[in-house]
Amino acid sequence: MTMPAPPSPVHWRLNPEVYRLIGMRCKDCGHITYPRRKVCPKCGSFNTENHKLSKKGTVHTYCINYVLPPEIEPPAPIAIVDLEGGGKFQGLFTEVAKPEDVKIGAKVELVLRKILTSRGIAMYGYKVRLVEEG
Amino acid sequence: MESIRGKVAIIGVGMIPFGEHFEKSMEDMAQETYINCIKSVDKGIEPKKDIKAAWLGNLGRLFGAGAMSGSWLATQIGNTGIPITRIESGCPTGSDTLRHAIFGVASGMYDVVLALGAEKMREKPGTESLIALGTIGLGGHPSWTWGSTAPAMQAVYATRQMYELGYTMETFARVAVKNHHNGKLCPFAHYRYEVTIEDVLRSPMVCWPLHLLDCCPQTDGAAAVIVCRADLAKNYTDKPVYVLGTHVGLDHSFYWDKHNFIEMLATVRAANGAFDMAGIKREEVDFAEVHDCFTNTEVMNYEDIGFCKKGEGGPRLMEGYFDIDGPLPIQPSGGLKAHGHPIAATGISQICECFWQLREEAGDRQVKLKNGIALQHNVGGAGFGVSCVTITSRNP
Repeated sequence: MTMPAPPSPVHWRLNPEVYRLIGMRCKDCGHITYPRRKVCPKCGSFNTENHKLSKKGTVHTYCINYVLPPEIEPPAPIAIVDLEGGGKFQGLFTEVAKPEDVKIGAKVELVLRKILTSRGIAMYGYKVRLVEEG
Repeated sequence: MESIRGKVAIIGVGMIPFGEHFEKSMEDMAQETYINCIKSVDKGIEPKKDIKAAWLGNLGRLFGAGAMSGSWLATQIGNTGIPITRIESGCPTGSDTLRHAIFGVASGMYDVVLALGAEKMREKPGTESLIALGTIGLGGHPSWTWGSTAPAMQAVYATRQMYELGYTMETFARVAVKNHHNGKLCPFAHYRYEVTIEDVLRSPMVCWPLHLLDCCPQTDGAAAVIVCRADLAKNYTDKPVYVLGTHVGLDHSFYWDKHNFIEMLATVRAANGAFDMAGIKREEVDFAEVHDCFTNTEVMNYEDIGFCKKGEGGPRLMEGYFDIDGPLPIQPSGGLKAHGHPIAATGISQICECFWQLREEAGDRQVKLKNGIALQHNVGGAGFGVSCVTITSRNP
C-alpha cells in the first residue's frame, strides 16, 4: 500500500511524546494537551510546561471500527479517554474480549503496544485497555 | 466585522450529475461543468472578456490527482490570462473556494469571477485513500489517526449524542430516509433510490454506531458558480441570487483539545459569522443544504447552526420538521448522503441547489419559499475543525 506520508520521521521526532506520554500544560489557562506545544492551542499563551499524562482514565466516548487499514484488525474499538489529572487521550483498544464490554464511563489504562508496521518499521505507541473492577 | 451584503451576486451555476465517472477524467468533468455554467447565464456572458479571475477547489492529493495549481484550471477553461488560485480546505473546500471568489468581488478588485470545484474520488480504492488515513501520523501528531478513519472520527460523536441526548440509531437512520427520498427527485444525485429505517439498520456496520447507509458515498463530481458585482448582475440575468453572508469557523484539529463531543464549534462559529454578516434571524431561512457526511452529523448541524436547541434536533427530525414538505426542508438535493460528496465539488454543488431553488427552477424537488433565503453549510477537515456557512437570497 502506498502511504500518503512517511510516518517514521514523525515518530522519531516525537519520541518523548510517544513513549513517555509527554504533553503540555498551559501555566496561564490550565489547558492540558498532547503532544507538547510551544504555544497553548487553547489560549495562545507561550507560557507552557511539559506535562506527563496519567496512564489512568475513563472512557468519554468511543466507536467500534469495522473498516480499517490492512494492519489493524477489526473490530477495533477506539476511545476518547478523560485522563486522571486532566487531558484527553485518543487510542485504539487492546485486549478486548467483546467489543460490547466497552462503555462510556468504563475505567481504562494506557499500555505500550505495537500499533503497526510501516515501510518495514515497527511503530509502537499507547493503546487503551479496560481495567478489571474489584 | 464588515458585511458583504449587497455587494455580490451569483449569475450562473453549472454541474454534472454526481456519480461513478470512470469514463470521465478530471479534465472532462471540469470542462463539462464549465460549459454548463457559462451556458446557464440567462443573458449570456463572454467568458474571456468578462471573467477576470477564478478559484479552483480540489483536495486531490488523497485521491491521486497530484499537486494541482490554478494553471490546471486555466488550461481547462482556455484562459491562462487571468489569476487563478487553488484552495484546499478539508470537506468545506468547495464552499471555501467560493468564499474566496466572493471576497474577490466584494473587495472591488474584480467584477466577475469563477469558482469551480472538482474531485475524482473513485479513481483510487478507499483502502488507498480515505481508509489509509487511519495509519499515518497526520499533522505532526504522534498517534492521530491510528485506526481513526473518517467514519470513526464521526462515530465517536454519534456515541456521545446517543449517551447525552438520548438519540438512537433510528434517529440517525431517519436522516438517510429523508435524504434518499429527496435524492430520488434530483437528477444530479449519485443515489436515486429510497431507503427505510430498517434498510439502514440492516446494512453492514462500518463503524459502530454508524452503518453503511449512515455514510455518504465516495463520488466523482464537479460544480461551478459565476460570481458578479451585485450592481452589474442584472446585465447577465433578471433573476440573480445574492450573497448575504459567508464565514469560515474553526475548532481544534485534534480530539485531545475538544471541549465536548456533541457539538461542532467550527459550525457554531461559521453560522454565527454568516448570520451576523447577513443581518437575518435563523427563522428567516426557508431551506438549507448542510453537511451530512454521516447521518449523525446532520442532526448535530440542526443544533449547531441554531435552527433548534441542543437535544431538539432528533425529535424535530422524527416529526418530519426537516422533510422536503416540512416547515424547514433540509437537503432538497438529497444531501451528501444521496447526492454525493466529491469533496471540492460538494459545497459548490450545494450553492447550485440553492440557486435553482431560490429561482424556483428545482422541478419535482422544489421547496416552498417564504422569504427567499437559503443556507449552505460544510464541516470537516482533521477533527472536523473547519466549517463554512454561506447564506444566499433572491433579494439583495
